[in-house]
Amino acid sequence: MSHHKLEVKDLHYSYPDGHKAVKGMSFCIHHGESVGIIGANGAGKSTLLMLLMGVLFPDQGEVCVGDVHVTKKTLPMIRQSLGMVFQDPDDQLFMNTVYDDVAFGPRNYKLDEKEVEKRVFNALELVGILHLKDRAPFKLSGGEKRAAAIASVLSMQPDILIMDEPTAALDPKSRRKVMQLLTSFKHTKVITSHDLDMIFEMCDRTIVIKNGEIAADGVTSEILVNAELMDDCGLEIPLSLQNCPVCGTEKV
Amino acid sequence: MANIMNSLYNMRLLDDLARQETVIHKLHPLMKLLTTVSYLTVVVSFGRYEIGGLLPLLLYPVIVFTLAELPVKPILLRILLVSPFIIGIGILNPFFDHQVYLLGGREISRGWITFLSILLKSGLTVTAALLLIATTGMDRLAGALRMLKIPRIFVLQLLLTYRYISVLMEEVARTLRAYSLRAPRQKGVHRSAWGSLAGQLILRTFDRAQRIYEAMCLRGFTGEYHTGGFKEIRVWDLSYFIGWVFFFAVARMYNIPMLIGSLITGVIR
Ligand SMILES: Nc1ncnc2c1ncn2[C@@H]1O[C@H](COP(=O)(O)OP(=O)(O)OP(=O)(O)O)[C@@H](O)[C@H]1O
Ligand SMILES: [Mg+2]
Repeated sequence: MSHHKLEVKDLHYSYPDGHKAVKGMSFCIHHGESVGIIGANGAGKSTLLMLLMGVLFPDQGEVCVGDVHVTKKTLPMIRQSLGMVFQDPDDQLFMNTVYDDVAFGPRNYKLDEKEVEKRVFNALELVGILHLKDRAPFKLSGGEKRAAAIASVLSMQPDILIMDEPTAALDPKSRRKVMQLLTSFKHTKVITSHDLDMIFEMCDRTIVIKNGEIAADGVTSEILVNAELMDDCGLEIPLSLQNCPVCGTEKV
Repeated sequence: MANIMNSLYNMRLLDDLARQETVIHKLHPLMKLLTTVSYLTVVVSFGRYEIGGLLPLLLYPVIVFTLAELPVKPILLRILLVSPFIIGIGILNPFFDHQVYLLGGREISRGWITFLSILLKSGLTVTAALLLIATTGMDRLAGALRMLKIPRIFVLQLLLTYRYISVLMEEVARTLRAYSLRAPRQKGVHRSAWGSLAGQLILRTFDRAQRIYEAMCLRGFTGEYHTGGFKEIRVWDLSYFIGWVFFFAVARMYNIPMLIGSLITGVIR
């Protein structure tokens, strides 16, 4: 795939229990864009990402990666170019050691063991947990698990990186590190988060979701300062953009 | 609740042990698998009344335990875990098999002999299986099974079942912890909550297993489990296997304790 466009057309999805989680979303993400997806709890962000990855299939509408529709048949090919970090790292780590977990993806693509090792070390180095490589994932702290989960996706060298709340549960330094890491990732990024300051720094474009529908889609610096819109969608203007609580100096 | 968390950690103990690097751990998985299989075959092939002949076979677990530097206590605990089942199966023998057997001048019912032999045999087989997992690890074991051309679907079944047990245990531990924190003065779970707790547990483990499976698929999993390349089978691996098979065969064909006994008495005479 020469350019990694990600397109969604009139997407609908309801969970088996009848709950309508996504109601008619459409957007197109171009190569190299970094897009933040924000919205209140239960707005449908995670569901949308699952649809993008082909973990769930839409009831109506379609998802295209490059020029290929996401269907059961094209899934193996599409998943080579998409990498996703789950909201809950426990769901993502299932091997006995961090090393094996990070190596799982590359090994599935039948790379030889030398190359696998190189990629694993690279990925672990990038997220700064090389010293944890022989530990069992279930014995790590929440933040360390998160870092391992990110490494397990980076080792696959995806063209499009999809992350569900990558900085949740991280300490400030690790959060900063993950942000730098993501900035250094030059391909397309789709990030959901409640960390609006991060979205403000990292993403040029933001999509706001409210009750399974797109409430706004545009330039981050315009959307995040729109107090009325944010309030309406159960959000707030990021702290870094709010007036100073001590001296009351106005920023906006 | 500490108990449950502990047993959860213990659940993964075998995996942890499998990561050591001793002489035994470094052996080729396939050879270890074959050695274990031949051991099991030999142990099981002994008749109901032969106890003496089984004794030399104790040597195998003892040697593996020592060379692999495995802690004896936790593994013995696991063997004890299955002992109720074995006793349940064997305990009726003394009641049904009343024939008398003379041992050193005392009368013993043959039922007790068979009971003892069942106990010994199952103890040995369970030990051998645990030792195999503790020195090889489930992943590499699966790789070895695939080398034997066992169909992929069976191997996968085995692996995922093994994984599922730990997922289930984790869910159990979490649910019980959540319960006990909000029911502080209770011992165990009140019977009014059993139903919903068990139901929740099943649904949640299903859900988690599903999500883990999805995570595997997202990373290119297509049913084949790659655990990194295997090293070549060295001469040393092969001789380990052949050496043991030779020993098992000798132990099966000759009653070694009897031979040693008659040798000693012969010398004394
Ligand atoms: N497995 C499921 N079955 C039924 N309904 C579900 C399921 N998972 C989520 N939902 C519902 O779908 C809606 C969207 O959920 P989703 O997980 O996408 O929210 P989210 O935007 O990611 O929220 P959060 O910010 O809390 O992660 C919610 O109302 C939720 O109750
Ligand atoms: Mg979510």
